[in-house]
Amino acid sequence: MSQNEHDAFIVSRDDLILVTGANGFIGSRLVKSLLDRGYRNLRCFSRSSNAVARFELVAQGYPGARLEVVQGNLLSRDDCRIIAKDAAVVFHLAAGRGEKLIPDAFVNSVVTTRNLLEACLQHKCVMRFVNVSSFAVYTNAQKRQWRMLDESCPVEAYPELRGDAYCFAKVKQDEIVIEYGKKFGIPNVIVRPGYVYGPGNQGITGRVGIGTFGVFLHLGGSNPIPLTYVDNCAEAIVLAGLKKGVDGEVFNIVDDDLPSSRQFLRLYKRNVKHFKSIYLPKFVSYGLCYLWERYSSWSERQLPPAFNRRVWHAFWKKTRYSNEKLKVRVGWSPQVPTEEGIKRYFEACRRGGRSA
Amino acid sequence: MLKVAIVGCGRIADAHASQIQRIRGCEIVGVCDSELLMARQLYERFPVKRYFGELTKLLSEARPDVVHITTPGQSHFEIANTCLQSGCHVYVEKPFSLHEDEALKLIALANERGLKLTAGHDDQFRHAARRMRALIQSGFLGGRPVHMESYFCYELGLGGYAGAILSDKQHWVRRLPGQLLQNIISHGIARIAEHLTTESPQVIAHGFVSPLLKSMGESEIIDELRVIISEEESTTAYFTFSSQMRPSLHQFRIYGPKNGLIIDQDQETLIKLRGSKLTNYLEQFVTPATVGRQYFANTLKNVKTFLARDFHPKAGMKYLIETFYRSIVEDTPVPIPYREILLTAKIMDTIFAQLDQQRSLVQAHGQMPLHPSFSGLRHT
Repeated sequence: MSQNEHDAFIVSRDDLILVTGANGFIGSRLVKSLLDRGYRNLRCFSRSSNAVARFELVAQGYPGARLEVVQGNLLSRDDCRIIAKDAAVVFHLAAGRGEKLIPDAFVNSVVTTRNLLEACLQHKCVMRFVNVSSFAVYTNAQKRQWRMLDESCPVEAYPELRGDAYCFAKVKQDEIVIEYGKKFGIPNVIVRPGYVYGPGNQGITGRVGIGTFGVFLHLGGSNPIPLTYVDNCAEAIVLAGLKKGVDGEVFNIVDDDLPSSRQFLRLYKRNVKHFKSIYLPKFVSYGLCYLWERYSSWSERQLPPAFNRRVWHAFWKKTRYSNEKLKVRVGWSPQVPTEEGIKRYFEACRRGGRSA
Repeated sequence: MLKVAIVGCGRIADAHASQIQRIRGCEIVGVCDSELLMARQLYERFPVKRYFGELTKLLSEARPDVVHITTPGQSHFEIANTCLQSGCHVYVEKPFSLHEDEALKLIALANERGLKLTAGHDDQFRHAARRMRALIQSGFLGGRPVHMESYFCYELGLGGYAGAILSDKQHWVRRLPGQLLQNIISHGIARIAEHLTTESPQVIAHGFVSPLLKSMGESEIIDELRVIISEEESTTAYFTFSSQMRPSLHQFRIYGPKNGLIIDQDQETLIKLRGSKLTNYLEQFVTPATVGRQYFANTLKNVKTFLARDFHPKAGMKYLIETFYRSIVEDTPVPIPYREILLTAKIMDTIFAQLDQQRSLVQAHGQMPLHPSFSGLRHT
């Protein structure tokens, strides 16, 4: 990386960069991306004890780089104080994923983020706090079909009604980052990746369809799927975290040339594994979501409100996606074309023997 | 209107808030958590009047009639004690207390103050469990239980709750005297305790870390437990907790001198086992058909309950809370007799003491010995 490029960044190569969730799907790529850019002073935080061995191996490829691996829990304020010390940039990727219940997702996303923000506030050395959010926070309800979803779109105002613990936690996590930015002046950037795919995350996104009822229901139809290949996503987060003049901004991360849900499913069946799927037209999926929502409410949640109109708008409504802001403001462009990314993803799926 | 408060706003508090809001004649006047963010998220999602970060403020400002304690087990005694001192009735989630003596003190205090207590043994109030209780009370078993078997299994996944405990050596569940077991087995033990009559049954426990957990480097958390409980020359019971056996059962079997009963919590079924046998082939042809008919009847009953909007996963909790509130308002007996709460605590204390003893022996001799009684059985 050239000196000119570095001049456009808020920190020098020797400044300490903290990455939480460093051992995760995106985090491990992000660490590598920082090292590739010449950053030599990284602190990798992970809850997993496997992280130490993994990063020792990574460090061998970057002689001269100082890779400090810390294992701990962000629910511990002491751990947060230790890792935030001297950190100039914080890439906060650690979050509760896969939790079905709101309190679990909340404690692992919001309380942890608050602890980290408090620690940053105490040390007074952070120049940017990069919060990794998600597309899940957007409501998309008030927009017409085929309209563009970009950073100006409203966030879910009543995330508790989405029936999705992850959405609730991410909305609240964003809120607390913005609150600390406004109240205490912690400079921040929020990045919102679409569906991050690649080797290591082989599932089919729910935006294509769901296999909950024993048969795969294809719900996406002709919708573009907001995919971002994991390496592209990591690169975008790095740039958003380091570029000068973007404090307080939000960036959506999606790749170019997005396939439609139908194309993606067809390719998946051809390249990974064939399985039966039933396509539900939009009016049918909307109607079913509406009925489920009504029944859930009428029966006092005898069935959880997992399917409702808010979910339908966020996941299955025809929508286009923009990465214009990311390209213009931080100079990102996807290094792995979607065609190549999907090829690698399918290859990994075949090796992993995963299916829908 | 009964004024209710919830202390501790983690995952089980959600279940409490959901069920309380389904009950008429009560309102949640406040929720409290030492982590204010947790209290606020519960307040934002349910019809709750206020949220607090301190118990004393909740008690003095919201002035609840009943407090539900849904914090980690270590704090149950202190919080329940404070609430009772403040004149509140208390619903304590399981485990009711860390030790029997704490349970004794709380019950004594409640009695002294004319207040009521209950424990979160809500599984005993699910639909099938209530049907079973009614049958036993009607004399279906033909006398006192001869033998019981209680299976309470738990599938340890790598994510969620289990993942958090396994990956975090400081997790609060690890700091309970009985660790993971203490946080889970009350339901299965309480089912047995309900039908015991003596105050001090004999308990023989054997526990170990499953090979799966060992392979993951776990050496502290006991996830396999077998217990024999017996009353002097009378009722006996087996209790099984397993993270590895499949199917992962939640079953209770009870046999009397005349007939037996099986409830399966996962299937929400109650099966009657006839004591008398038919002659020859009839037993093999007729009995399977009648058992099949019983399963079909259970299916119909479940569908009917579902259609009546009363088949929630926590239907037992709603019934228990409702009955507890009624006992407060109408001054009727509490849904779970105190002797049952105490007996459950006593049996659990004995189990954990024996497991501790086994741990010490392992440390001293390097291998897990079977309990002397188990060893004796092995050699006969």
